[in-house]
Amino acid sequence: MLNEIKGFWETSFVDWPGKIASVIFLPLCNFRCPYCHNYGLVLNPEKYETISMDHILNRLDEFRGWIDGICITGGEPTLHPSLPELVCTFKAKGLLIKLDTNGTNPGIMKKLLRNRLIDYVSMDVKGPLDKTRYSRCAGVPVNLESIKESILLLKGGTLPYEFRTTIVPSLLNEVDIMELARQLAGAKKLTLQNFNPSDPLDARLKGVAPYNDEDLKRLQDKVSEILQDASEEVNEEGV
Amino acid sequence: MNTLRGIDVHNKARMDEETTDMALFVRTSKEDLLDWKRQRIVDALVKETLIDIDTAEEISKEVEIQIIDYQIKVVTAPLIRELVDAKLIERGLEQARKMHTRLGVPLYDVDQLILNPNKENANVPHGPEATNLTLAEMIKKEYALLNVFSQEIGDAHMHGDIHIHDLGFIDRPYCSGQSLEYIKRFGLNLPNSLSIAKPAKHPEVLLAHMVKFAAALQSNFAGAIGWDAVNLFFAPYLVGLRDEEVRQLAQMLVFEFSQQAVARGGQAIFTDINLYWEIPKHFEDVPAIGPGGTYTGKPYGYYLEEAQRFVWFLFDVFKEGDGVGRPFFFPKPLVHITEKFFQTEGHEAFLNHICDIASEKGNTYFVFDRGDTAKISECCRLSFKLEDSDLEDAKEPWKMRYTALQNITLNLPRMGYLAKGDDTKLYSNISDFMEMAVQAHLQKKAFIEKLLSLKEKGPLALLTMDKDGSPYLRMHRATYLIGMLGLNELVKIHTGEELDHSETALKFGLKIIAHMKLLVDKFTKKHGMRFVLEQTPAESTAYRFAKLDLRYHSPESGHIVKGDISKVEVYYTNSTYLPVSSRMNPIERVRKEGLFHPLIEAGALTHIWLGEARPSKESLANLVTKTFKRTLNDQIAFSPEFTTCSSCGKTARGLMEKCRYCGSGEVEGITRITGYFTKTSSWNKGKIGELHERFRNQGFFKDGESDIINIRQKSH
Repeated sequence: MLNEIKGFWETSFVDWPGKIASVIFLPLCNFRCPYCHNYGLVLNPEKYETISMDHILNRLDEFRGWIDGICITGGEPTLHPSLPELVCTFKAKGLLIKLDTNGTNPGIMKKLLRNRLIDYVSMDVKGPLDKTRYSRCAGVPVNLESIKESILLLKGGTLPYEFRTTIVPSLLNEVDIMELARQLAGAKKLTLQNFNPSDPLDARLKGVAPYNDEDLKRLQDKVSEILQDASEEVNEEGV
Repeated sequence: MNTLRGIDVHNKARMDEETTDMALFVRTSKEDLLDWKRQRIVDALVKETLIDIDTAEEISKEVEIQIIDYQIKVVTAPLIRELVDAKLIERGLEQARKMHTRLGVPLYDVDQLILNPNKENANVPHGPEATNLTLAEMIKKEYALLNVFSQEIGDAHMHGDIHIHDLGFIDRPYCSGQSLEYIKRFGLNLPNSLSIAKPAKHPEVLLAHMVKFAAALQSNFAGAIGWDAVNLFFAPYLVGLRDEEVRQLAQMLVFEFSQQAVARGGQAIFTDINLYWEIPKHFEDVPAIGPGGTYTGKPYGYYLEEAQRFVWFLFDVFKEGDGVGRPFFFPKPLVHITEKFFQTEGHEAFLNHICDIASEKGNTYFVFDRGDTAKISECCRLSFKLEDSDLEDAKEPWKMRYTALQNITLNLPRMGYLAKGDDTKLYSNISDFMEMAVQAHLQKKAFIEKLLSLKEKGPLALLTMDKDGSPYLRMHRATYLIGMLGLNELVKIHTGEELDHSETALKFGLKIIAHMKLLVDKFTKKHGMRFVLEQTPAESTAYRFAKLDLRYHSPESGHIVKGDISKVEVYYTNSTYLPVSSRMNPIERVRKEGLFHPLIEAGALTHIWLGEARPSKESLANLVTKTFKRTLNDQIAFSPEFTTCSSCGKTARGLMEKCRYCGSGEVEGITRITGYFTKTSSWNKGKIGELHERFRNQGFFKDGESDIINIRQKSH
């Protein structure tokens, strides 16, 4: 299962703000988030054809000068021991790299950071940092220590990053979301993503009403405010 | 309006308020057989046709006997006319019959029309005004085909070799582009108007004048009304205003034009507003006109700050959407991206701002003016380079008035079927079809010139008004559009491959269009009229040509037309576009479609369908910048899709069968049909077929499993 690339989206305008990015999808995941919309990749990756690296590199050449970088996502990319190798192949083409991860493998992330192989990290934080709620959102029991280590790694580093949380009203209410924001105090950015009810992993969530646009915006503003206040406090304490 | 009622011949009762054809009957209080005057048939024949009195007499007698013999209960004027026409045919007087034809609409059709919405143009709502418009159009269409165009051209249109657009508006030019300077300088002083307004002193009044003038123009042109550099020409009126006041004015402007659905035939005015972040080079040193129509003593270059404030707020309004957050359908904002744009301070922030709107609501059009060429986008898709004489006019911008007199679209796939794979035949078909289009233009031009020659006493008085030494409609600057439809299908018929299948196919397509460009240039020289190639919006023509080719070129066409034949949701690919279903990333589409743009002078455009996706504004800005710098693509627009719910009033992203928020089925889809946004329930079947097949670049695992279900036509 080494670097079996199961999806190649040539141009995304969604995944990396400001960039035109190609997205590489790697199979398998150690989470089972009930709202996952790429679950085919998680549960039955063999259903998808493996895309050859040659094809991908040819297409990237075709759009040289247009595509700024590669977004590596999944599944969970850090499950693949050869991830650094894959990243190097793209780096050699002069492309920027963004990594999407759930933060369960701080080891590989540290390695990538140390070797300056990635340019941006987007880490999913599933919910408030306690075992019960986190595991409920991730759909499996989660070792919170790894998650916290990854969070600290990003917060303490110089690399641009964002934390992302997918919000399903029945899993995370406003209190949970604000609690999470306070737990991430000092972080640069927490982006709330609305959940898409059209085809989630847990069929019981299918058709469940997501937050509406106004609520989403209000929650996002509130979260950003909490992070901002917290970072100001940190600064003041620092002075 | 005449109704199709008549007199009761045998039962004297039952006659009250009917109006009858004055040419045949004189209505009296006691209409009965006594009022029947055979002489009226004779009079009409002599007046309307070229036949002799004796024949007319004979015919009238025969018809009279027929009416009495048949014991027809109710004789109507149209019936008598048909009986007379039958007699003309019996005598082989074909020409006379044509001249004596009655134009009208069957009762059944009128009934259907009054009850059901119009599908030809999704910009016409359903209502009494719309019905009036459609009825009038039907009659004028027939009139045009019989009386304005030659039989050959009329037949070519009916068979679908060519499509003459807006036949129902035969007595008007096609579209119009102008500058606010005209009303700023001359006020509102329109022929036949009840009152005369001096040049506006306040920005709100200028806006009011703009709206009124636009409505007046709409009733004199068939299509779009475009305005040049709107934010710049408003700027001298905005000096010293507070931000809230400018914001308010921006809001008024957008709402005024989006709510004009009370104008002609209940149609919103198809309004384009051209906008600039910088001061366009050709206006920098032009003396500015301010309140009261007087010169402010400063050139337009001085008003950068006001112009920028206004355009920024205009996009704030577009971003917010209407009262329930839906995108505005009109006015369409066209932002010109030029070399100078990138040299003007604040362009990054502004580009992100308008890309934000492109992503959220889709309104923004990005028009690329590269190098030193300045362009004006004068109507839905027509934009052209300003020539020396135009740049001279630019010093007195009220002179900058442009029109396209008519739009003719060629059925490219038809040329393919007829050529049967033979190159020589194909190229000669192209010449023949273009020759027909040119003839059609000559005939319409002659007709419009006839109307214009009646000056202020004629139907186009507004267009002949002369305030600056030349009539409002400057015929010498008119363009004549020749559009094309279904290049993709033509290439498939001729080479077996669609445009996106191979480089060879794409090159062949380019060769065809290059040849057409060569021909329009030849015709331009030959006739001293400006013919230009255009990417026809073809809202209903794409459907009409496909249907007609299924009729005339089956079974071959069955393998060629796009869409769903079983539901007759068929269409041809618009103009020179690559197939909408092609799973091609937006960069590739922008690049490949852009190859055609330098050959097509009249506003070529690449659509990028977004579906549900909500791209990052900075990423779109990135694409826009690269498109300007790395391609010759003329114009791009991004089209998101929406579902708006009439139960809960909320609007969600994507086209869905049920409201995402409240689950109600009372939803309406909204997205861009061709050159504008509208509700999908009003789309014709061809466009519905296309909508199903649009590739939306929504994400790797999304394609093929999207929620696009709510795009079937609602049943009527």
